[in-house]
Amino acid sequence: MSAAVLDQHLQQMTPIGQRLVWVIAGLVLAVAPHLGHIAPWTMLIAAIAAAFRMTAEIKRWPLPSRTICTTIAFASLLGVLAGYRTLNGVDAGTSLLIVMAGMKLLETRTVRDLTVVVFLCYFALFAAFLYNQNMLLLPYMLLTAGLLTMTLMRIHQTEAMPVREAAMTTAKMLLQALPLAVLLFLFFPRVPGQFWAVPARERALSGLNEEMTPGDVSELSLSSAVAFRVKFEGEAPPPRERYWRGPVMHQFDGRTWRYAGTSYTPQEVASSGSTYRYRISLEPQRRNWIFALDMVTNWDQQRAYRAEDFQLHARQSQISVLTSFDLESAPTYVTTSELRKELRRLDTYIPRNRNTRTIELARQMRESAGSDEAFIQSVLTKFGSEEFYYTLQPPALDANAVDDFLFNTRRGFCEHFASAFTVMARSVGIPARIVTGYQGGEFNPMGGYFTVRQSDAHAWTEVWLEGQGWQRIDPTAAIAPERIERGLDAAISSEESVPGRALRQNALYSKLRMAWDAANTFWNDQIVQFGESQQNWLLKLFNIKNPRWEYLGAGLIITFAGFFAILSAYLTWKFKPRARDPVAHVYEQLCRKLAKLGVPRLPYEGPNDYVTRAARARPELAAQLEEVQTVYVGLRYGPTPLPTQLSRLKFLVNQLEA
Amino acid sequence: MKLAINLDLGLMRRLRQFSRRWARKRHGIDADPLILSTRRIYIVPTGMGFAFALMLTAMFVGAMNYGNNLALGLTFLLGSLALVAMHYCHRNLSGIVIRSASSDPVFAGNEATFRIAVENTAQLARHELLVANDQGMSNPQPIPANGRAVFDIQLPAPQRGMLTLDHFEIVTRHPFGLFRAWSHVHMNLTCVVYPKPAPRGLTPPPVETDTGGAQDSVNGDEEFAGLRPFHPGDSPRRIAWKAYAREQGLQVKLYAGTAVTSHIFDWNALTGLGTEARLSQLCRWIEDAHAEGRAFALKLPGLEIPANVGLGHRQRCLTALALFES
Repeated sequence: MSAAVLDQHLQQMTPIGQRLVWVIAGLVLAVAPHLGHIAPWTMLIAAIAAAFRMTAEIKRWPLPSRTICTTIAFASLLGVLAGYRTLNGVDAGTSLLIVMAGMKLLETRTVRDLTVVVFLCYFALFAAFLYNQNMLLLPYMLLTAGLLTMTLMRIHQTEAMPVREAAMTTAKMLLQALPLAVLLFLFFPRVPGQFWAVPARERALSGLNEEMTPGDVSELSLSSAVAFRVKFEGEAPPPRERYWRGPVMHQFDGRTWRYAGTSYTPQEVASSGSTYRYRISLEPQRRNWIFALDMVTNWDQQRAYRAEDFQLHARQSQISVLTSFDLESAPTYVTTSELRKELRRLDTYIPRNRNTRTIELARQMRESAGSDEAFIQSVLTKFGSEEFYYTLQPPALDANAVDDFLFNTRRGFCEHFASAFTVMARSVGIPARIVTGYQGGEFNPMGGYFTVRQSDAHAWTEVWLEGQGWQRIDPTAAIAPERIERGLDAAISSEESVPGRALRQNALYSKLRMAWDAANTFWNDQIVQFGESQQNWLLKLFNIKNPRWEYLGAGLIITFAGFFAILSAYLTWKFKPRARDPVAHVYEQLCRKLAKLGVPRLPYEGPNDYVTRAARARPELAAQLEEVQTVYVGLRYGPTPLPTQLSRLKFLVNQLEA
Repeated sequence: MKLAINLDLGLMRRLRQFSRRWARKRHGIDADPLILSTRRIYIVPTGMGFAFALMLTAMFVGAMNYGNNLALGLTFLLGSLALVAMHYCHRNLSGIVIRSASSDPVFAGNEATFRIAVENTAQLARHELLVANDQGMSNPQPIPANGRAVFDIQLPAPQRGMLTLDHFEIVTRHPFGLFRAWSHVHMNLTCVVYPKPAPRGLTPPPVETDTGGAQDSVNGDEEFAGLRPFHPGDSPRRIAWKAYAREQGLQVKLYAGTAVTSHIFDWNALTGLGTEARLSQLCRWIEDAHAEGRAFALKLPGLEIPANVGLGHRQRCLTALALFES
């Protein structure tokens, strides 16, 4: 349909109908960002309502009665309640909002109804930010907010402004509002923590699992999604020290390793060597795991705790939005706490009837090695020297997964090697466990930070040695040292296809990816996570060291007063009447002065009569007034008024006061 | 176009009445023309404005609760926008020039229309202005830069006499309907209300011969009898254009032969009727005579209007009826 035809259609509609088109367009744009995460039926209801309302407008159908609308609205409310089991929460709230906007459309009869729909649209836009604070979303949101605002203005106009003019007016008003909004954004104090708990959202987020089954296809290793970013203060640790610790798995059923929670028992750690201070920014995840550099030695006790497994947990139940922590870690450390009896039992347990060949092999190797340390070394040597292959496409394994891997397939990645090693260690009574997490990370020179992706997920082993405590053993390092030093892409043989590897090795692509990631990181750190620390830095610029509530109050008053004064002055200037005639202005001045001298101008008097009368009434001014009269008449009615005449007149009138 | 203008709460109405009385005391009777200064413009949020504020509060609490900076930013932007809109609303009124314009007389029982001219001396257009009082309101209209608009406000005129509009408000809700800015204007605008014409029935008094100055335009074929000076209200057909061409001034031709006739509508002749009924009856006769182009004279106690024809004569007579004994 061409624009002209569309325009003609619009012309034929009732005033409400013409406005309705814009309101519905605004609604569509405001609801669109919710497409992924809201129950589709709510969207469908709103869409049907909008379509029905438009058809009713064109075909002049009567609108459904209030009873019908209320019934549908109530049914939808129950539907949302049934679907989400609550009305408290972002998902349920947003669904309800969308349904209600649709229902309100059904009964739009007046400007007031349309206004309510526009308000609901604003709210839908607001809710979209609760789901997604992506950099790309912002321009979209601003444009939609602008369109809604323009619509809000146009629905209130008897003769709606042309769209172009209305868009300009709205843009101007938004720009004028921007300075105040920015000041409020920068200086309004942020209150840390939620003061109104709402149920956490269920979201499909990729990340480490709570169980690990070597042999199953690992989707994680193919995902280039960012898990977290790390910025070091000063020197960064070398790749072989970049182990980011995640959940520790103790339970083993012969095939699958499981994480079964951990207890909160403080453990003692003695660190030696260099320590690293850094800030870790975690992408949203399902759990509260902070993937600290192994071993974390210093953290904010208010926000996180280190569990018995040395894993760092956030104190909130879920890291549902991008969250940062300032941490300190020491890669060289010794754990000095005793191993609890229950933990020793758990960490030496393997099902005796499964993987029997592995158990037998381990016993033989332990006997010939003579000590636990020598045994561990001999197992690693076996992995490194015999024909084991590092691959992301390992063959499937049977029920005795470790036996199958060690004696038949001999192909696998970190999980397989860590699992096999742990089983062998447990077979000879050495307490051993699987640690999952991430290893490595890509340095982004543009942002000066490391990006750790889901594909950097890793699994290694920890063994307990008497007198030495828990020791990290990474069997993958024995078989594929490139994995540890240079990352996954380097570790996989070039014959094997790794999705995206060719692209990642393209210099331009990799540069663009880094630039994009750096921009995103800046966005996340400075805008999305803007908070107390940035505010304190800003306040320091104004020499305010200890912000107090009094300052906030005073600051707010000054900000608003200043904003009002500037806007008022600007509008006064914009609305000023057309330029006045300077001669008339001086004449008015003259009239005021003469009135003060006791000779007010009578309504019917012209300048000539008036000044003559004034001269008669105040003979002492007669000479002056006579000249005033001559100059004035010259200026007004003379052939070519001169600027000197005007300045003379001004001078004469100014003189009058005396 | 009929758009429902939202009604404010009863409380708002009472507050407005209070502010009206206060403004009357503060500013007195306003000059005509009146230039609206900022200090006499009042502004309050509308019901929708309060709803918007409520929404912003909910957004603010939500954004702070989730520590969501972008949501907070949107909230601040919308809040600031509302404050900018408040200024626009206020400035939309300030500096406009209000003048009373004419109002046409009406018959009692009809609606009187008061015209109020509003000038915009600024270089920017004004939007969505309207004039209202307790009984009625005009349609909202814009005024272009350096432009002028006339607002009609209709009031019921139940009784004959002088209907005055002693108070009205000039109102705007531009740009978003979140705020209502208004100014009270106390300017005495008047409109003459003629008596309601009585139903037809009573026959008018018979035509009397009058050799005076009046003519009957219906009878056109009499003998020419002379000229007399033109008076406003004379039929242009009777003007002696030839005399005018001879630069003798405007003259009206008089005819003799059939006598020039006119009615005399006399108050005293209508015995047995009350004051208002008499006025209504006189009004009816005047209207009928005027419609048929017949000449008539009006006699009221203390007032005699000689026989004549034309709109000016009719207006003079009807106004006399309207203002009789008042």
